[in-house]
Amino acid sequence: MRCRKLGCALKELAKSGDLAVDLASAFDASPNPYMLLTPDLRYAGMNRAYLDVTRQTREALLGRHIMETYDGAADGENADQLRDSFERVLVTGEPHHIAVLHYPIPMPDEHGKWGIVDKYWSCTHSPVTDDDGVLRYILQHTSDITELQLLRRQNRPTGAAEAQPMSALDAIVSGRLLQRAEDIQANNRRLESERNRLVEMFMQAPGFMTVLSGPDHVFQMHNQAYAQLIGHRDIIGKSVREALPEMEGQGFYEFLDGVFATGEPYEGRQSRIQIQRIANAPLVEAWLNFIYQPIRDADGKVVGIFVQGHDVTNDMVAAERQKLMIDELNHRVKNTLATVQSIAMQTARSHTDPAAFAEGFQARLIALSHTHDLLTQRHWEGADLRDILLHETDVHGATRVVLNGPPVILSPAAALSLGMIFHELATNAAKYGALTFGEGRVFVDWAVANQSDRRLTIEWRELNGPPVAPPERRGFGSRLIERNVRHDLAGDVKLSYPTDGFHAEISVPLDRGSPS
Amino acid sequence: MTLPLSGRKILVVEDESLVAMLLETILEDMGCETVGPISNVDEALTTVSDGTAFDGALLDVNVAGREVFPVAEALKAKGIPFVFSTGYGEGGLPPEWRGQATIQKPFTEATVCDALIKALGVGSA
Repeated sequence: MRCRKLGCALKELAKSGDLAVDLASAFDASPNPYMLLTPDLRYAGMNRAYLDVTRQTREALLGRHIMETYDGAADGENADQLRDSFERVLVTGEPHHIAVLHYPIPMPDEHGKWGIVDKYWSCTHSPVTDDDGVLRYILQHTSDITELQLLRRQNRPTGAAEAQPMSALDAIVSGRLLQRAEDIQANNRRLESERNRLVEMFMQAPGFMTVLSGPDHVFQMHNQAYAQLIGHRDIIGKSVREALPEMEGQGFYEFLDGVFATGEPYEGRQSRIQIQRIANAPLVEAWLNFIYQPIRDADGKVVGIFVQGHDVTNDMVAAERQKLMIDELNHRVKNTLATVQSIAMQTARSHTDPAAFAEGFQARLIALSHTHDLLTQRHWEGADLRDILLHETDVHGATRVVLNGPPVILSPAAALSLGMIFHELATNAAKYGALTFGEGRVFVDWAVANQSDRRLTIEWRELNGPPVAPPERRGFGSRLIERNVRHDLAGDVKLSYPTDGFHAEISVPLDRGSPS
Repeated sequence: MTLPLSGRKILVVEDESLVAMLLETILEDMGCETVGPISNVDEALTTVSDGTAFDGALLDVNVAGREVFPVAEALKAKGIPFVFSTGYGEGGLPPEWRGQATIQKPFTEATVCDALIKALGVGSA
């Protein structure tokens, strides 16, 4: 506040015109050194005392950067202290004090000989603003406190032998006072750097954080993660209701009101939120874990709310996906078990001999397992028709089973059905058909017709086998083939038994929905 | 030997043909007649509404990627008893269908028989 008063006083004096001269002479006549800096830290003016102390001329200093004249005159730490102080005034618009500044200057000794003399100063830097409140100058007011500092040193036990006489009271007052000022200054610098470190941690924290002030929850500060959460909107100084209007009706305003009124923290777990990440774009859904923590003043009264939390949307999506996968896996496992159960039961019905049952059952189980292997290779997205045929027929030799057709990728359900169908056809051919004799051949030809609504036709022809006669009763194999094609694949199948060789024609649609 | 469900007609909705064949065999052994098996929800809904006669139904919950519940609703409205069959068990059913007779895959002949007897309210002979 002092800065504004000082600024006003200077302005009032300046405005009064004829007072300008008085002001300038008053300024010049002061025994205290004064100088004015522009915001880029160049000399804009100084009084006589300042020129005397620094042994400089007005012409030499005006327009020069303060640090240019300062360099080498004092140690680096003090230069930093001075630079920090100016920086603070520029950023905060508030005056800043340096209790003790070590700044040696050139001076003549008692014999008139010039030399560098240690000097200690206490200075205040005040902002000077114009009518619009814009900072125009920094005013430096300096007091020479070298004597106080020397007194204090002399008062120390080590220098006691050569101590100049001085009153005990002086020693106590000046020594302690100065020591305290220096301590406070050191403490302030320590607190300042700690504060900066904490602010840095707050800003960089992976979780989102914001500080809300007052009953309307006005944004005071927030970190990067919070800015990202709300789509980098300008919210500082606005109330939550103003800054984030899309939260209306989502319950968050009310939770904040509740925390402010009761002083009880509120914790949200996997809370769904609809948020505006991009202006005018549709709201985005997110899930948050967060806590609203009351901030209290010295009297324990709630004055604000600290908001802290994490965006757990990715975790929620992953958990949802995992649940779907587990459900799907369970469904598949149980269906596979039921399929195996069915194979066992049907196989048992057509084989009275336990050894024959075991052989037939195992062969069917392995056929099913082969198709699973092919599907696993392609992450259960599908399997190639030729690969399935090869799996079921290659034990009989490539020359005896001739495969001819284009690459066709089958859905998992179609692959499983056709795998079982080819297994039954190949088993029958080996037991009763063309593959029982050395001369017999099986020709498998397939084609895909109609590119928009694709239909796969497969022809299985057996030649040079034993004479064929239609079976007396339909066994499990032919029932399985017919049922699989019609029921699972929504297709047609024709099994015929001409004397020269068994013949099967299968026709199935390829692009039908997504069977389980 | 008297079979409690002898002569009953049972609608089977099941998309996996081998499982459907198993159910057919089990029903045949119980003296029942199979209606279907039907492998999709739409066809099942038609069969329920077109006046096809049957005494009860076995419904696979997940039929070719679709849930069978519309068929269950239609059967409930007509007062026809039914039993769900599912790999998830009763816990996998949505809340409104909890408590409905359910058999879990894979099932034994005895479980299918018991569930149908209970659902159809047939007293043991």
